[in-house]
Amino acid sequence: MIILTKIKSINWQGIRENKLYKRFASLKTSCIFLGILIGFYIIGAIFPQDAVLDDYIKSGGGFTSFVIFFDLLNVFNTPGFLIAASLLSINLTICAFEIFLILRSQSKTVSEGLQFTPQFTFPLDINTQLEDAGEIVKEIFKKEMGFTEKTFTCQEINIMEKGWSYRWLTWGYHLAILFCLFGFFMTYIFAFEDEITLYPGEAATIKPAAINRWNKSWGNKPQELDFKLILDEFITEYNQFPKLDYPADKLSRLAIAMGWKDPKYLLKEESYAPKDWKSRLKIIKGNQVVLEKTIEVNDPLSYQGITFYQAAYKQILKVQIDDNPISFETETDHELIIPGIDGMLKFGAIRTGTLFKKDGGTEKIKTFTEAALIRKDKSGKTETEKLGKLEHDGSLYIDDKRISIREFKEASVLSYRYDPGVPILWWSGVTLLIAMALRVFGAWYRIIYRLEEKDGMPHLLLKIKTRGIMADEERLIKRLKHSLEKWAEPIDLDEPV
Amino acid sequence: MSNLETILSRDSYILAVEIRLFWLVALIYGVCLILYLIHLATKKTGPGRMGTNMLWLGVITHAGLILLRTFEGQRAPFQTLYESLSWFAWSTSIAYLYVERRWEDIYLPGILVTALSMGACLYALLTRSPAVEPLSPPLQSYWFEWHVALAFLSYAVFVVSCSIEIVYLTIKPSVKKGLRPEYGLNTNNLETFHRQSFRLALFGFPLLTFGIFSGAAWANEAWGRYWGWDPKETWSLITWTVFAIYLHSMSIPRWKGIPASTFNILGFICMLMTFIGVNWLARLLGIPSLHLYAM
Repeated sequence: MIILTKIKSINWQGIRENKLYKRFASLKTSCIFLGILIGFYIIGAIFPQDAVLDDYIKSGGGFTSFVIFFDLLNVFNTPGFLIAASLLSINLTICAFEIFLILRSQSKTVSEGLQFTPQFTFPLDINTQLEDAGEIVKEIFKKEMGFTEKTFTCQEINIMEKGWSYRWLTWGYHLAILFCLFGFFMTYIFAFEDEITLYPGEAATIKPAAINRWNKSWGNKPQELDFKLILDEFITEYNQFPKLDYPADKLSRLAIAMGWKDPKYLLKEESYAPKDWKSRLKIIKGNQVVLEKTIEVNDPLSYQGITFYQAAYKQILKVQIDDNPISFETETDHELIIPGIDGMLKFGAIRTGTLFKKDGGTEKIKTFTEAALIRKDKSGKTETEKLGKLEHDGSLYIDDKRISIREFKEASVLSYRYDPGVPILWWSGVTLLIAMALRVFGAWYRIIYRLEEKDGMPHLLLKIKTRGIMADEERLIKRLKHSLEKWAEPIDLDEPV
Repeated sequence: MSNLETILSRDSYILAVEIRLFWLVALIYGVCLILYLIHLATKKTGPGRMGTNMLWLGVITHAGLILLRTFEGQRAPFQTLYESLSWFAWSTSIAYLYVERRWEDIYLPGILVTALSMGACLYALLTRSPAVEPLSPPLQSYWFEWHVALAFLSYAVFVVSCSIEIVYLTIKPSVKKGLRPEYGLNTNNLETFHRQSFRLALFGFPLLTFGIFSGAAWANEAWGRYWGWDPKETWSLITWTVFAIYLHSMSIPRWKGIPASTFNILGFICMLMTFIGVNWLARLLGIPSLHLYAM
């Protein structure tokens, strides 16, 4: 109550007349802030965001001192950007508030037509007095054409409207943008994300290493979540994807255009394209399974505000040399050094699961990987030698050494995220789109008219205002003419004066 | 011949037909461009009219090509850059023809439209692989078709809007000076013609907004992050912001003329950057892109 009284006692009118306030309530200021934000966006599009400085330098990135000084690899978290975004939000809030006040004052009474300059004049041959003609015209606009009457201070002039008010719609989607900005703010402050690697059959507790900005600023530590996650099964599926034998050089491509050559699809060993990765998950609270779902990319699992996403997978191989009981463990696409072998071994992604064939059939893939040997010469140049396909129960020979896969494991990598900004963004985004679509694609009409007696006959003097792509002045005039004709004695109304 | 070999041979044949048809479409767009350029040089309406008729032929052939591609891939034909370029060329040309049908003997905006359509086709044909690829897991979403189709529709109308804007800025001085009407434009219809540019940008803006919103919703569903400041995302936001400034500047009396027109043209340039030039500025400055989804 005290706060409310204090708010009421503030001199709002004084604030609204303040120069700075007025500047913030201007459209020009909005454009300037948007322009400043564009500058930050361009920097963010040029410099790799969230990149590690060392990686940036190693990749040959220049302007290092600038990058460090202005924090260009993290530009969207710099005070400059945050201030610019906040100023735009303030500007938008003030503009929305000011427009609201104007719209509220105009909701019933319209301040249009003080200088009424008609665009069209129609003679009304309806054999009545001016007053009666006025009633008939009103009837036509209201009942036949669906217009609603607006109150206007000048008695002689009538104002009517049809369609969703474009001003309210415009105000609505600007307000929705403001809510979107609030959603971004919520994400910025409260969201956190992390990853978890799950092996089939294992129950994992979830303790995020990441912490949101709010907790970080209060020195809070991440909390372990009160439920566990079990991966029942990890499923991989592939499409048979023939490689296209197609030239890269432009002349050969022209030759194909001329019909001198033909492109050709070929089926090779590596003709596997990922079709889907699925994880069959269970959420356990206490000793009870509270939720079960098979997730895949584009179909996550949500529980207690945390959403789990199928991010990637991890494959681990145990490689055996000859009959040695000690095996070497490695991850796919990682280099493995084995004593006695000159060079490093590298195994490609393990293909396992189901293959969806080009002819419509499916087949269980006989688990295999592609092996390669990487050698470095004295100058440090690397040379990769393809060793071929290594099946689960097969073997390969390098330097008289027999290499085989003793075991392999596949794990599902899930990313999880808590983001209270998403529901706000979702609802405000949908509102924004609906309001914007109605405003732009819809049709809004305002007619301002007056009846006048000329040469002993009532005349309709009309002005039309339209908004929206679908608004069609010509169609409106045609309909009006048609309606007037119904009431009138036969008269030529083809050409408005 | 085994069943699989028969399928591969059939697919290879369809692809060969499709590639040759695509070259033919690029050629038609090229002929249209030449006809519009003749119209520009001679100021005669005949070549312009012929250019438009030819463009109809190109668009109809291109529609057939897109249908063929859809049949080949059994999915919406805009997964790879090769397909997106084709879709862009087609949607731009058809958007132009739709807008142009109301004009009387105005053909100049066709120059930019056909140049871009032909350029997009040639870029796809000469530099990208035409292989029909199966949809990768992240693309298997109901957002895919809507996101791409509507974003490209917005691109198409922005191209037409920009071409009108350029023609207006070029022609306006001579028409305003009271010189004789040129290229179908005179003091009576010049402003109405120019108004189309604003209306098109206004039409495209909600579509671009939907493109960005659906992209964010899709990314949230696939990766759990609705916004990652990836260059592609950032450029789309730049394009959106520039067009927002353009639309607002049309309500500011002092900005309504040349400044607003400049924003419209800038918006078009940003749109091109979003589509194919995402990393161009970074490359120009020798800055490495460490982003996964940037081209």
